[in-house]
Amino acid sequence: MTKEVLVVGGGPAGLAASHALSSAGIPVTLVEKTDILGGAPIHSGYAKLVPSGEWAKDAIGGMVKRVEDDPGIKTIKNATVASFDGSPGDFTAKLSNGQEVKAAATILCTGFTHFDSINKPEWGFGLFPDVVTTSQVEQMISSGKGVRRPSNGEKPKRVAILLCVGSRDRQIGREWCSKVCCTVSANMAMEIREELPDCHVYIYYMDIRTFGLYEEFYWNSQEEHKVKYIKARIAEVTSDGDKVIVKGEDTLVKRPITIPFDMVVHAIGMDPNVDNFVLSKTFDVDLHHWGFLKRQNAYGVAGATSRPGVFVAGAAIGPETIDDSIAQGQSAAMSVVGMLHAGATQTAAE
Amino acid sequence: MPIHEKSLIRPENLSTHDNLTIDGVDVSGDWSTFIKARVVQDYNEDLQDEIAALPGGENIHRCWQCGSCTNACTVNALNPDFNPRLWIYLIRMGFEAELVRDKDIIWQCVSCNKCTSACPRDVVPEGVMKATAHWLELKGYTPKTPSTEFDEIFSNQVIHTGKIEDGAVLLGFFRRTGQSPFQDWVIQMGKQLAMGLPIRMLMRMGLATLFHPRTRGWDRARAAIEEYVEEQEAAHRKALGLGGSSHDPHAPRQAQPIPQAAE
Repeated sequence: MTKEVLVVGGGPAGLAASHALSSAGIPVTLVEKTDILGGAPIHSGYAKLVPSGEWAKDAIGGMVKRVEDDPGIKTIKNATVASFDGSPGDFTAKLSNGQEVKAAATILCTGFTHFDSINKPEWGFGLFPDVVTTSQVEQMISSGKGVRRPSNGEKPKRVAILLCVGSRDRQIGREWCSKVCCTVSANMAMEIREELPDCHVYIYYMDIRTFGLYEEFYWNSQEEHKVKYIKARIAEVTSDGDKVIVKGEDTLVKRPITIPFDMVVHAIGMDPNVDNFVLSKTFDVDLHHWGFLKRQNAYGVAGATSRPGVFVAGAAIGPETIDDSIAQGQSAAMSVVGMLHAGATQTAAE
Repeated sequence: MPIHEKSLIRPENLSTHDNLTIDGVDVSGDWSTFIKARVVQDYNEDLQDEIAALPGGENIHRCWQCGSCTNACTVNALNPDFNPRLWIYLIRMGFEAELVRDKDIIWQCVSCNKCTSACPRDVVPEGVMKATAHWLELKGYTPKTPSTEFDEIFSNQVIHTGKIEDGAVLLGFFRRTGQSPFQDWVIQMGKQLAMGLPIRMLMRMGLATLFHPRTRGWDRARAAIEEYVEEQEAAHRKALGLGGSSHDPHAPRQAQPIPQAAE
């Protein structure tokens, strides 16, 4: 029986799983479909992470370096898994570049896809240049260029952040809460207020879900940075040619609102990875009815899927924070260690 | 024709013509009923800062609209229109016209501070109510309340002399609020006082009325207090974008037109 393990996907969960396995002396092959490791925080150019406040390129960059410097981890970039056959302890993966990888087990750390705001056309993304996504604002901040109106490069005086774009919306078949956007938006609002103290930031929400310790971000954004929260689901975003105009109902005063803004930011949610149907077929694992990779249980073997020997971790399972993705990568690695150990004991007994 | 949810419609936004014919069709009365849209078209971003600049309003930005203040409110139990939660929201979002609509009930806060105890974010809603009532006065939306008049006469006298002369406070209060000094209860009090023949007290009162005694060495204290009060009042007026000074308490207050809600 081979001892090597295949990790699919080089984001936070995959990097954590690879490192954990290698630390336990298990050789790892890490397959990444793009040409850089780091996953969404690096690909999408996130700025400061929640809750640490560390820059993504430093925090996740450190994880990438740890994996790249590890002789026990073999990284194959620009490749996907084309086929995956065999049984636990003896799998064979054929990659898109023709390579073949033998593996005792695999951990799918295939992550998510950002919601594409084009699918919510009433909110103006793609129609008006000053309607942007949280990812774009992250890039404005992380690039050091600062938050500016795309239409004319000016500093915005008034910014609206719309929550639940691509989340909790039956109209577009996305009923889940994307879990991180409230906290990310509260943090982003504070970053905007820090960079542009004259800029007023309004957050339009249905509910605020800054769960657990993240509540601090909600409180600080209001108490220290005077970010304003308005309970309203926006009906439509239009424009007068200069300002973008947000229409909705301010539910707390039972009044329609038509408010001009310099910029509107969509707090985009986390979709299942667009590749999940292919992954489900390739690895023969079940999908959750919302399209994420299905976790077999909550209390048994961590990260188990419907197929023995195939594990899953991170935002592939559902919307997830970076911290918890890392924890899940490590716990799935622990499940693999346990499986290999049991297999070795069994082999020795025979 | 019944209008559903009529309670949500303000009467001034209902438009009905008793006699109206359009294209030869008679649509008089209820047939021509229209409801004008009430749309908020902008936020007045200064309003929250104005209230926050007045004593008591400092923590208004902390509010997250849970409604604990309104639930705890003594006055709300008697008058459901008295809603601190709503007013805090209107101020935070800058819905000035909406706020001013309630100018005649905002001052009814009895300062029981049950809201202050109930508030999970330490907004101190009672302070906000006080600041808001003060704001309405400073902006000229409401006349000074009798209690404000009393406070001013009382504190002006203390600042001036370092002492309180009750008779002068009372007479000044009656004068400023347009009340007769010969009120039944005053006459009754005078009669009862006279029956006890408190000659020494009457003499002292008489002397005090004539000579306005001062606390010894009060001038420096007075100067310091006046300077502080002037500084505070100037800061408040500046924060509210008001010119001039409020130094003369007798200066007539200009009535301000109530801003109209955007239609």
